Amino acid sequence: MPTKRFASTGLVLLLAMLSGVVSPVRAKGDDFNTAVRIIEQFYHVRHKSLPWMARAGMKAATTAARISGGQRKRIAEAGSVKIAFFEDQDFSSRGRIGIFKSSMNGALMTSWSPLVQTLSSKDEEQTYIYVREANEKFQVLVVTIERREAVVVQATVNPRTLALLMQNPDEMGREITNDATTNDND
Amino acid sequence: MKSLSQKSLRLGLLAVLVMLGVTASTKAQTGRIEMGQLDFLAAKASQTVDVNIDERLMQLTARFLSTRDPDEAKVREIVNGLKGIYVKSFEFEHEGDYSPADIESIRSQLRNPAWSRIVNVNSKKDGSVEVYLMTTGARVDGLAVLATDPKELTIVNIIGPVDLEKLTQLEGQFGVPDLGIEQSKPKPKKD
Repeated sequence: MPTKRFASTGLVLLLAMLSGVVSPVRAKGDDFNTAVRIIEQFYHVRHKSLPWMARAGMKAATTAARISGGQRKRIAEAGSVKIAFFEDQDFSSRGRIGIFKSSMNGALMTSWSPLVQTLSSKDEEQTYIYVREANEKFQVLVVTIERREAVVVQATVNPRTLALLMQNPDEMGREITNDATTNDND
Repeated sequence: MKSLSQKSLRLGLLAVLVMLGVTASTKAQTGRIEMGQLDFLAAKASQTVDVNIDERLMQLTARFLSTRDPDEAKVREIVNGLKGIYVKSFEFEHEGDYSPADIESIRSQLRNPAWSRIVNVNSKKDGSVEVYLMTTGARVDGLAVLATDPKELTIVNIIGPVDLEKLTQLEGQFGVPDLGIEQSKPKPKKD
């Protein structure tokens, strides 16, 4: 029942936010916001903050993940995840997908290393994964864009988790994004 | 008699040339192929994949994978000592969307005498798979794979001590695609 789903999603979101696992777009001037802003400017879209998404019935954002062999573990360090959603908007690149890639790289590559970038101009799908060291850990920034939606996720991961994810970098973006946007109970 | 400024100019020019030579030589010996010149193909390709795993990330993988878990230990052994894995892959909608001239920038680097083509390589897949090794004396500095077919182009560059066996073990991992590489076995002698 939709009402029940909205309520449970909202509750999980609220708990996630209170526990500090997830935070909506906040700090100005950081690279996460830069990535969000580039998407907004290039595609003329607007991201939605988590409380709104909760009302809209989006899945809760948690950081549980299935890494290597199905054992459910957490990818992200508690309190490190930032997420911005773009839902049901037009992400047609109209042949300018390369320009978007250059804009994104130009803005982020001074402080992030591009780990994986996949572009599918035919399907209008793009994934960008950037990594940088953060003290003893690593920050990962994942930008996933499809025809009608996009997600930007930034998370801090421990080195072992990153080492495990790196074995399959093609799936890494999906792993991080899916687990950041899927309820543990789903 | 030459003026002091003329002498200084010549010395300065010489110093610049020496530095440029050293830089070029150092870059050539790292086993790294410069692939940035292929970026323009992304506009023509229906799918593009770029994987850049640098030395720091390779070391991280080798350091943090478990020695107790057999699968992780195996991967750890494969990547140990590697200094980077770089992959660039393009898929095209139609034959002829890229031309041999488009990959001349890669071939010209592989014509450097430090690179040698491994001849005993076959691929189960269609198209051509060329494997090159960069060596300095007995030491292997890097490996490059140039896989081409009419609608696909893939370049794999692995830096560090790597051989064909390691390459085949890496297929399907760390962004290295399945190249279908088989090492030719020596033919059995007839009695």
